[in-house]
Amino acid sequence: MAVKDILPLAAGVAIYGLAFGVLATQANLDSLQVGIMGATVFAGAAQILAVERLVAGAGAIAALVAAVAINLRLLLVTASVREIFTGRPWWQRALGAHMATDENWALMLATRAQGKDVGYWYLVGGGACLLLTWLVATVTGALFAANIPSPAALGMDFAFTAAFIAVARSLWRGAPDLLPWVTAVLLVLILTSLKILDSAWALVAGGIGGAAVAALTGSDTSTDKAAR
Amino acid sequence: MEAWGVIVGLAIATFGIRLSGVLLGERLPTTGPWARGLQALPGCLIASLVAVLLQNGGLVEWLAGAVALGVALFTRNLPLTMAAGIGAVYILRQTGFSVY
Repeated sequence: MAVKDILPLAAGVAIYGLAFGVLATQANLDSLQVGIMGATVFAGAAQILAVERLVAGAGAIAALVAAVAINLRLLLVTASVREIFTGRPWWQRALGAHMATDENWALMLATRAQGKDVGYWYLVGGGACLLLTWLVATVTGALFAANIPSPAALGMDFAFTAAFIAVARSLWRGAPDLLPWVTAVLLVLILTSLKILDSAWALVAGGIGGAAVAALTGSDTSTDKAAR
Repeated sequence: MEAWGVIVGLAIATFGIRLSGVLLGERLPTTGPWARGLQALPGCLIASLVAVLLQNGGLVEWLAGAVALGVALFTRNLPLTMAAGIGAVYILRQTGFSVY
């Protein structure tokens, strides 16, 4: 089930993987380094940002700091599905943590919102498909860099934005979500447009700010549905 | 050398962040405000993610986002919403909307 559900997202990941492979060759990474980075980091946006910074000549430290900052949201991602990790042995918790990305996490939440009882193995199964796709696509991109067009040329750069909009719609539980979600979005828009925070930090601030509003204003009954 | 440093550093830091979330989540209370906050977190994080992505784009992305939202509201279908968003961005860029 996880494999079939993840296919549209895997297609998006494949496009980004090719683009990342191309960019990585510009930073003088060879295909072995691209493969090892994909398997051990397994975070597309952070990998693209790190390599882009290297290409721009920002240096290793600046590249690392920017990429780590954009990955801070992953702490919230894994914390937000804590119930799937309870009672599992340490190796399963470590595996599940490493396999958690925006895409399969969001897909798991959306599938649950449709009333299906999915959890740990759905996340890990979807993550394994994405990892395999990411490895094949990034290494292919690095090997055939000269022949690959940019995703933006086909509108494919919008694939994940559209996917997250669909997931947001699935997650919407009605009135109790309104204030937290509006808070999250307004925080992001204000913090980024006034240049108070860059988008990596604004994203974390929006998520925490919205959750804090829900924590302070909500009642337990209104959130039971998501508590599975 | 520079590349290996970034790869190893980023791999360790990213795994540390992911595992910290698991360990933190396990240690927070399962009722009360903390639990309510954690339950609301996925939706708020997805909403923030969409806001950041649209904000990093421009007029074309906001318009295509509205199209995708319309399709999502009526169909609740992930592949269809993705296709509509990608198609909208592609068409808007073709018609010269990208000049801003």
